[in-house]
Amino acid sequence: MKKPLIVLDNIRTGYNSDPVLREVSLEIYPLDFIGIIGPNGGGKTTLIKAILGLLPLFSGQILFPGGKPKTGYLPQSSQIDRSFPITVKEVISSGLGTSGNLFPFLPSGKKEKVKKMMDETGLSSLSSTAIGELSGGQLQKTFLCRALIDEPDLLILDEPNTHVDKHFEQEMHEWLKELNQKMTILLVSHDIGTISPMVKTIACVNRTLHYHPSNQLSEEVLKVYNCPVDVIAHGPVPHRVLKSHDNE
Amino acid sequence: MTMSELLSILDYQFFRHAMAAAILTSLLAAMVGTYIVSRKIVFIGGGITHASFGGIGMAYYMGLNPFLGAAVFGTMTALGIEWISGRGNIREDSAIAILWSLGMALGIIFVFMTPGYAPNLMSFLFGSILSVGKTDLYILAGFSLFTFLLFSVFFRPILYTAFDPEFAKTKGIPVSTYRYMMSVIMALAIVLSIRTVGIILVLSIFTIPQITAMLFTRDFARIIPLAALWGVTGSVAGLFAAYYLNIPSGAAIIFFLTIQLMLIKLVIFVHRELQRRSG
Repeated sequence: MKKPLIVLDNIRTGYNSDPVLREVSLEIYPLDFIGIIGPNGGGKTTLIKAILGLLPLFSGQILFPGGKPKTGYLPQSSQIDRSFPITVKEVISSGLGTSGNLFPFLPSGKKEKVKKMMDETGLSSLSSTAIGELSGGQLQKTFLCRALIDEPDLLILDEPNTHVDKHFEQEMHEWLKELNQKMTILLVSHDIGTISPMVKTIACVNRTLHYHPSNQLSEEVLKVYNCPVDVIAHGPVPHRVLKSHDNE
Repeated sequence: MTMSELLSILDYQFFRHAMAAAILTSLLAAMVGTYIVSRKIVFIGGGITHASFGGIGMAYYMGLNPFLGAAVFGTMTALGIEWISGRGNIREDSAIAILWSLGMALGIIFVFMTPGYAPNLMSFLFGSILSVGKTDLYILAGFSLFTFLLFSVFFRPILYTAFDPEFAKTKGIPVSTYRYMMSVIMALAIVLSIRTVGIILVLSIFTIPQITAMLFTRDFARIIPLAALWGVTGSVAGLFAAYYLNIPSGAAIIFFLTIQLMLIKLVIFVHRELQRRSG
């Protein structure tokens, strides 16, 4: 059995003192591709922010058995201020952090890396374009490049399908499959239909978390997705029983 | 009026000082204002500006240098707002409004309690660039140079933490350190500029040249020098107009900055229209 990359041990986390997620336990193994699904407000984004260390844990712990992995993060597009005066090149460069470069000039190694990334992804012609002038697909591609430029071990994507056309969606899916050969991926989506062929396993998040070690959409999984998760009595995770949705 | 007649005013030391103050304030505001406009925190700037009036009043009452009081109040307000915005459970805009009006109220109370007439009150509200002395200029020049060095050395962390603080955090950048540092820089830059254009008008010198620059570029690093250029041309033109038309200098500077913005906008519009029609 491989050593897990990340272990969430019974964590409780959220904003201010309001716990959005309770009693969440999960082991993330190297080269897994986890689709994180669940209803709006269920805590999908909260979960990945906790993993990224952006939120405090009220209880429980997050362990990195093999040391903290290098992460690449693509936030939800609503979190980005598109009118901020910054160019494609600068956004991608920011993925390399600031170590080793004070002053506005990038060291040649980093500059070369950014140029190579833009050449490979077809963003070169947009290098000096402000992000406010990009299409939805170009914008997501830019932010995906920012997440990938530092060659992460763990890629965390929050709703990367928002505001992109079908063509780019297809392109991105191919890209992610290829990337999964060498990195672990966590993908948050509200749309289970588009992500299920790509992902290897599924985690349903609705206040707490249910992990399905396959990408098969059994009726049970679908039920979990459509209804409050707590209704489904499965797994060792402690749960509460809530009222069903109206369409039940 | 010939050019030499126009420039004869430069023979006076007070006008040379005023020119230097206008140019230095424009350069300082170009850097700090670009940060303010990019982050859309003009309202925070307003809060700092008006809260600092409380410090002016208090220092007046205690017989201290009013700008020292303003610097203390302004910095505390800026740090307080940054702290509040990092917490999320307090309504930031309401908190700013409270500090904004509390500062003004304290200022008025202290000035009222100070025995005798407070003749300089108007100069704090509308600036008194024509009475800027050598010490004022040295302080302004020193702080502008310090800010320039800071922006040069820490350009990338400042940009990254302003644009997407959460992502910056995942890259190990000490986001709150930079945010607090910029809050202090913002407060001190605003307080020093109050000397030039006054509390009521100071925000315009931190925003109008930047908006003008953004007609030409949407690249943070390029906005700063362009904003410096438009700030200098607008404020120097305003200063000359103030002298020759005998109008208040702070108001004249703001008026010229705005006219300049509108003219450039018009030129760009006409240019685009002509290009569109010709092909």
